[in-house]
Amino acid sequence: MKFNSDPAWLKKQASLEDNCFVSVGGLVSAVEDLEQQTQQATASRTAFVKLLNLTRREHKLTWEQFSQKLDVDLAELMEIENDESYKPTPRTVTKIAHFLHVPAEKLFILSGLARVHDRYFKEAALRFAARSQPVKELSSEEHEALKEYVKFLCER
Amino acid sequence: MADKRTMTLNLTDQEMSLLEELSARKDVSKTALLRQALRLYQMVEARLSRGEKLFFEDEEKKKAELMVV
Amino acid sequence: MKTRVHIIDNTTGQAVEAEIFDEVTVEHFIETQQEWRPIVLKAARQLAARGSHQLIPQHFHWDWTTKAPELKVLANAFYGIRYDNQLQGLMKIETVGQFCSCRLPEQVDKALVYVDYIEVAPWNLKVLMNALGEKPRYNVIGSRLIEAAVLKSKEEDCKGRIGLHSLPMTESFYIKTCRMTPVGRDPAKQNLLWLEYTPEQAENFLTGAR
Repeated sequence: MKFNSDPAWLKKQASLEDNCFVSVGGLVSAVEDLEQQTQQATASRTAFVKLLNLTRREHKLTWEQFSQKLDVDLAELMEIENDESYKPTPRTVTKIAHFLHVPAEKLFILSGLARVHDRYFKEAALRFAARSQPVKELSSEEHEALKEYVKFLCER
Repeated sequence: MADKRTMTLNLTDQEMSLLEELSARKDVSKTALLRQALRLYQMVEARLSRGEKLFFEDEEKKKAELMVV
Repeated sequence: MKTRVHIIDNTTGQAVEAEIFDEVTVEHFIETQQEWRPIVLKAARQLAARGSHQLIPQHFHWDWTTKAPELKVLANAFYGIRYDNQLQGLMKIETVGQFCSCRLPEQVDKALVYVDYIEVAPWNLKVLMNALGEKPRYNVIGSRLIEAAVLKSKEEDCKGRIGLHSLPMTESFYIKTCRMTPVGRDPAKQNLLWLEYTPEQAENFLTGAR
């Protein structure tokens, strides 16, 4: 590639460009796509927290008892429950998957440790996240939702 | 530029006609067009292998899916 | 490809020899996250604090590392400019794709090279450096990247034709500095202005002829 080496060209361009802002639409579209993916990741994350919560309540366990059953740190479980931006450790996610008898890689995606382009996976996570209510006892509907979702994670 | 290698390509009359028509429309040489076609194929394959789908959209915003074999 | 190109050092007003290259790697992307992004964010916060939201770059939280998979795609070409051991600018172009056709009536449907991403290091941008109370360091980075896009277009037998969607705040750069033709707003791309070069305009830009 032969670039212009004429000092007059350089001087002219310098005067015209004048350190102005340089960008294109591609950057903005890609940033918006990333924001959309982030929103979808948030929905998956909500589904993950709900899955954890419903499982604990299904087994009628306190958080402390649940952490002992899972063999994970109680503080980390509380972080997962309360802090949406918190990324659980792969060990913790694997332990949860083992307890639930679901493939670990599915929970890696749900927890935000991995990304997916599977439309069906994302839609199911959204539906599950939307279905449960924050009450102490699992309603029969929540029980059904949990059962269905765990079945979905195992089958796909 | 990267080193180039040469190959001979046999095309049917129909394929050659198409190649000539497309290269005239795009105002690029036949070689350039075939190289673009190869890159386009790679781009599509890469995204399909990630589970994405390729759609064409007409003016009424109706989508038709293209499956690449 | 690695070639010497001159850019302007604003401190001295003199030409200095930078390097433009096409072997961009994910390490370069990481460098932008480590070196560019913190400054862009700092300047964006300053501009926001002053109420100058309209000056904040729309892509201020852009992350080049998310584009690492695109490095392997042959349809793409990436270019970087390096000077003083720092990355001064980065660009990604597409030689094939949905935007690689001309829209100007006199050359409609002909092949062009599309500028998909282009970014100049924040310390070279007046708006951002003013927000931080500093002066921009090097000039002509944007022009050199556009020049690379035109030269690549010629290599691809597209006769120098390039096309891009401009953000509102950069329309002036493409129209006045690069002398591209504004064709029209694209409803498929957030109504951004589409600009392109004819072969004659591309040649005029390369040579400096008017």
